Amino acid sequence: MPDYDVVIVGAGPVGAILARVLGEVESPRPLRILVLESGPAVGRTWAEYQGNHEHYLGAEVKVPNTPWVSSTYAPSPDVLDIRKLVPGSLPDDNGYFVQYGPLPFGTDYVRAQGGTMLHWLGTTLRMVPNDFELKTRYGRGVDWPISYADLDRYYELAELELGVSADVGDQAYLGITFAKNYVYPMFGIPRSYLDEHVAKAVDGMKVKLDGKQYTLLLSPTPQGRNGMPNPAYDNGSGYRPRGAHGADHVGLRCEGNSSCIPICPVQAKYNPLKTWGRVAPHVEVRTQCVVSRVIYAPTGSKPVAALEYYAYSDGRPPPTKPDRVTASVYVLAGNSIENPKLLLASGGTPNKHVGKNLMDHPYVLSWALMPENIGAYRGPSSTSGIEILRDGNFRRDRAAFRMEVVNWGWDFVTDSPFSDVETAVDRGRFGSDLRSDIAGTVPRQFHLGFLYEQLPHPGNQVFVKNGYVDALGIPRPCIKYDVDDYVRKGMAASRELWNQLFAKLGATEHTRYYESDPGYVTYDGKPYSFIGAGHIVGTHRMSKTQGEGAVDSFQRSWEHENLYLAGCGSMPTVATSNPSLTMAALTFRTAEQILDDLGTR
Amino acid sequence: MTPDELRDHLQTAIEIEWSTIPPYLCALWSIPEGRNELAATCVRDVVMEEMLHVTLACNLLNAIGGSPRFTPRPGKPVPAPDYPSFLPHSNDAFVVDLRAFSREALETFRKIEQPAAIGAPPESDDYQTIAQFYEAVAAALAALSPGIFVAGPTPQVDGAFYYGGGGEAFPIHDLPTASEALDVIIFQGEGIDLSIWDPDHDVFGEQEELAHYFRFDELYQERRYVQGDTPSSGPSGDPILIDYAAIYPMRPNPKAESYPPGSELRALTEECNATYSKLLTELEAGFTGTPSALVGGVQTMIELRYQAIALMQVPLDDGTGQTAGPAFQWRARSDRQAGVE
Repeated sequence: MPDYDVVIVGAGPVGAILARVLGEVESPRPLRILVLESGPAVGRTWAEYQGNHEHYLGAEVKVPNTPWVSSTYAPSPDVLDIRKLVPGSLPDDNGYFVQYGPLPFGTDYVRAQGGTMLHWLGTTLRMVPNDFELKTRYGRGVDWPISYADLDRYYELAELELGVSADVGDQAYLGITFAKNYVYPMFGIPRSYLDEHVAKAVDGMKVKLDGKQYTLLLSPTPQGRNGMPNPAYDNGSGYRPRGAHGADHVGLRCEGNSSCIPICPVQAKYNPLKTWGRVAPHVEVRTQCVVSRVIYAPTGSKPVAALEYYAYSDGRPPPTKPDRVTASVYVLAGNSIENPKLLLASGGTPNKHVGKNLMDHPYVLSWALMPENIGAYRGPSSTSGIEILRDGNFRRDRAAFRMEVVNWGWDFVTDSPFSDVETAVDRGRFGSDLRSDIAGTVPRQFHLGFLYEQLPHPGNQVFVKNGYVDALGIPRPCIKYDVDDYVRKGMAASRELWNQLFAKLGATEHTRYYESDPGYVTYDGKPYSFIGAGHIVGTHRMSKTQGEGAVDSFQRSWEHENLYLAGCGSMPTVATSNPSLTMAALTFRTAEQILDDLGTR
Repeated sequence: MTPDELRDHLQTAIEIEWSTIPPYLCALWSIPEGRNELAATCVRDVVMEEMLHVTLACNLLNAIGGSPRFTPRPGKPVPAPDYPSFLPHSNDAFVVDLRAFSREALETFRKIEQPAAIGAPPESDDYQTIAQFYEAVAAALAALSPGIFVAGPTPQVDGAFYYGGGGEAFPIHDLPTASEALDVIIFQGEGIDLSIWDPDHDVFGEQEELAHYFRFDELYQERRYVQGDTPSSGPSGDPILIDYAAIYPMRPNPKAESYPPGSELRALTEECNATYSKLLTELEAGFTGTPSALVGGVQTMIELRYQAIALMQVPLDDGTGQTAGPAFQWRARSDRQAGVE
């Protein structure tokens, strides 16, 4: 008999939802579940969570990973490691990733209980129906093996789990439909003053992109953060917002602390610790356990025989021998880089799609100074966007994109407001002059963010290579990454959009891209600098038939029937929506399938 | 008690509950973040429950046809104390100050939350304890029910607009819901039957928690209560270390008028007074049919906290080493403009 019914590798959002759902089984007996997490526990109690916030406040350089201290033996990639790649001196192994280029993969993640969703923004867009049929509709990429209709019910479960605030009327665009009488758990988060100001200019505005005319609409963004509960939720049962894990009277409404990324100080924004707080106590979670190898059985109907892992303690010498654990079902829920890395490091003959088709949302910023105070720096990072350009016939020719309106001034664009103070001081301002100088510019800062749909290319990939290992001797992720003309043409279309928007708003553009930027690219003679969005997708894609992908639509390995590869890696295309909600929906669907496998549903 | 007298009593109930909040907030905000966390948690928990009590008292007053008041009316002063002050409708047994967290403050807090002796009957119109006062209210409600309850809908604040504090606000429309509200107010504050444990878990399914009096008493005695302790045994658990040196040494009962006109401290104190007064206005709107006013009220609360803590960090230049602090003085809207630069 195996040690466990289910072993889950990774205690991020996918692991948390699986552990919660599978842990609820009572008959014929509770399932024996083990979760192995490579990183540390960072929020078992409210006090422990607050420690992360204090660490963040005290840090001089603040980036998304700052609050979440990583382990020596389970390093996390950090955006501070990203630098311009120089042809001829590749790979660049600065940091955890080994970058083979030609462009750097500019995204980080968090290896800790809770995963990278500890520092997500909270955007919970559904995909639009045509996103599932990119190949059929537009002759690009691949189709998904499932449709929007297949996911609708699971989107609802995900919206409950993540506690989404939104209004159905705002979200029903581009063919997105909702079940009859469905409402989100909470009403939409109020739009910021800045949103209202921009909406006045943008709503109904006609713009020309690639020679075609579009009528714009600024849409409120659905968000996994606590707002006013909707009494009509669940046919009138209502919804009770969930507060912080370990302090449930805290964070029951978004307070506008404006530090969603990297840490919501009150947990009004969902994070997987809230799900972990609801996982049955018999589910075993072992942090600081790095799975190093999937061991396959030579024959038989249970092709995966065991997992090998290293249990370590920070500050101690590395463990010399791995442990082994066996289970009826294995789930790899690392992420789209850790999952394929582990499979590729395990030997055997991995499915040929594993590690391939790495995608992210290349994220381009453009920024301007508004003619008047727009109340920059208030509210969550982004509370509205232009969604209606996420689908259209143009997807035959160029990348679709969504545009975020950003509430946080020039923030990380120019390291504002610190850089503004420095610049003003350099100009000789001090005292009340300095104050009025800052007050006269910073609240007028405005920036837009553009997320482009990247197509799957086998050449964009994660692989392992001798000689590049971490402190435990486990291979580090090697990455080849590029951004094709399809995306660059999308960037050009977005430039047309922001030019027209800034003109309409009377804003003075200050966008500048430098050749020294790590993500500097050009198209049609014009420069763009992109950064990673943290939306890592595609490296073990799902497919309708074996041979086209690594997993089936339930995220089960085509070759190994007792192995699931769960998470964003299963998404065949990245579309334009931030992937967290879809990932959570897929997880609920997979949980049902695992219960079927075990005969306990 | 006549219906009008009962409504007056409920307005008084709101004022009693409200009058405890500024003193508790002064104590709470004088504890710098990250220091004396046990003490801060205790005061925070209690003040959140007082806010719940205010809310439930308002719901109850609305349910019997009254209208909660937080601001002055012609001939009626602002129903919030000018500190130092006696508790409204009390027998003037002790004075309540605005003070930093201190042993003196804890002494007062214990008096505020003093439990009633078992079966102590309500006495005349001045009550020795808050519990006695509520016993009188409960008796009158029972006597005047069901006629006293308004038949149609009344302004009620529920969990949509009240959250995060000391339990759940619920609508009140009849004697059972009214009694439930009174039970919450009395039990949370003072315990029952001289048990030191707050029977909160029966009402809210929350963890067992000490009644307010004993929570303050353990801080005062600097020792935890444990299961088995009684009011006469006192606390017998682990010692509690309180670092009084870490507290902002706010001078008790600050007043804007004690600073020279035109001075920065005067302006800052008036700004804080204006915020407090704005909050009272928003609360009144929130509890009289416009619950959405409480959304802005939350922002005002956060602002009040920032301003109060900023004041507590300003040393007075009188050689005492004490600091300024929030005065919680009512300012009519017209005076607010004048006071703020």
